Amino acid sequence: MPLDTTTEVDTPEHVRFRYFLAGPTRRTAAYLLDLAVRLGIVLFFLVIQYVFLGGGPKSDEKAGTGFLLVVLFAVEWGYYVLLEMIWGGRSIGKRAFGLRVVKAGGYPITFIDSALRNLLRAADFLPFAYILGFLVCGLDKRFRRLGDLVADTIVVVEASGRVVGALKVKAAPEELSGLPSRVVLSAEELELIELFLRRIGTLSVAREAELAQLIAPPIATRLGVRFDDGSRFLRCVYVRATA
Amino acid sequence: MMQREEEFVVARRPDWDELDRLLRATKRRHAPQITRLAALYRAVCADLMRARTAGYGADLVAALDGLAGRAHNQFYEAPPTRLSAVVSLFTRDFPRALRKQAGFFAFAAALFLVPGAIGYVGAVQSRAFAVRILPESQLGGVEAAYATETTREDGGDTQMAGFYVYNNVGIAFRCFATGILFGLGSVFFLVYNGLVIGTVAGAVAGTGHLRNLLTFTCGHSSFELTAIIIAGAAGMQMGYALVNTGSLGRWASLRAQSKSIAHLVFGAAGMLLIAAAIEGFWSASPVPAQVKWAVAGVLALLVTTYFVFAGRKR
Repeated sequence: MPLDTTTEVDTPEHVRFRYFLAGPTRRTAAYLLDLAVRLGIVLFFLVIQYVFLGGGPKSDEKAGTGFLLVVLFAVEWGYYVLLEMIWGGRSIGKRAFGLRVVKAGGYPITFIDSALRNLLRAADFLPFAYILGFLVCGLDKRFRRLGDLVADTIVVVEASGRVVGALKVKAAPEELSGLPSRVVLSAEELELIELFLRRIGTLSVAREAELAQLIAPPIATRLGVRFDDGSRFLRCVYVRATA
Repeated sequence: MMQREEEFVVARRPDWDELDRLLRATKRRHAPQITRLAALYRAVCADLMRARTAGYGADLVAALDGLAGRAHNQFYEAPPTRLSAVVSLFTRDFPRALRKQAGFFAFAAALFLVPGAIGYVGAVQSRAFAVRILPESQLGGVEAAYATETTREDGGDTQMAGFYVYNNVGIAFRCFATGILFGLGSVFFLVYNGLVIGTVAGAVAGTGHLRNLLTFTCGHSSFELTAIIIAGAAGMQMGYALVNTGSLGRWASLRAQSKSIAHLVFGAAGMLLIAAAIEGFWSASPVPAQVKWAVAGVLALLVTTYFVFAGRKR
């Protein structure tokens, strides 16, 4: 069971790396930006038509309307497919929010994948405002909507890849005295504690205590020790385990 | 002796930063940069494995994961989409897919034509029936529209062609996509459209102007109606693959058929574009009705021949 919303990918180099999956919130933000861009495109052509054909002969105006409807069709059904093909699985909104569509195996998507996942928007949209897509996305372990399930794609977050310094935690010697002299944690436990400690600065006191209460008790039970302050206990365990 | 995390980061960081810079660069890359990128990508993959094995910090591993992932995505791009794929779609893949899914096509056709016949007979027999399907105002509109032979003002042809692209292809795509709900959406669209079209025809027949309606629609209908039925058939194939999964999982069963499903949908979309051009620029043109009927016959024969013979192995 992974700790975070990630998925593993095997590359041809036999390297396994993890992608962070994009959740509904980030995807909605990207969608709204794309929606704004699409509205902008339609508006642009609307203005063009008004400027060049407005007040002219009625026949030109009618022909212009026909052209505008073709634009509307292209923006509704072709926008995502075109951009996902040009930019390797990214639209303007996805680019802005660091998202990318890839095959479930981590490979790039092909035209058929992109076309299927975007045609299926008509089903994800039902009954209105993507309610069905939201539900399916929220229930799926990898946040896939119907279109993703049909095309076998996932939407991943492209992490910045910036390396931050190692986590530095200090604990007073008297605090550590209650712990066994050697603390062995599994890689997942260590990762869990580290992720928690890194986030402490961004959490409220109550939330910090709540999260610590989820992580600390099983570890304390296994080590056979008691603790008062979960957050401080985890800090000490981390110091001892990484010493 | 294992390297400590800080030492590892200090030693390797210049390479990571260089890779990050190369990946961010938007300019076109030349051979030396590509070679360098490849070397750095392999190096970061090795670093990632090492960081994971040594149990270095979670954030370091996550950062390397991100860097390796971005490099991977730039290296392994999808094979380019070729124009020849479009050619082979229409000369081979589309008619083959349809012949293979003839059962779904027949079923979809029945779901469209039977309600159509019911709508027609019902509307001819009773006005009350027709009004239940379409409101009086709409019925009156189409009856008035077909009271004379269909003609359009200047520019109207282009306008209507655009409308047919937007509206009809959109309906076909929705008819297909909603098939994911175990086929139910496609069934609904087929039955509903069949019923409405039949009712309109019945209402117009009631006023004695059915000939005008048929003269207008005969040219494009072999493309338009067939394509809507094909889109529905593709939707039902999709829904059925979710139910009858064989030895596969639900989604794997669907993905095994996704290519043939896509061929049907793209093919139907192509047919609808042709239909929109005919409906926009030919069907309402002032050529004599006899010519329109003759052309319609030729087109229907063409469509039939295409689906029966195109793409067969010689």
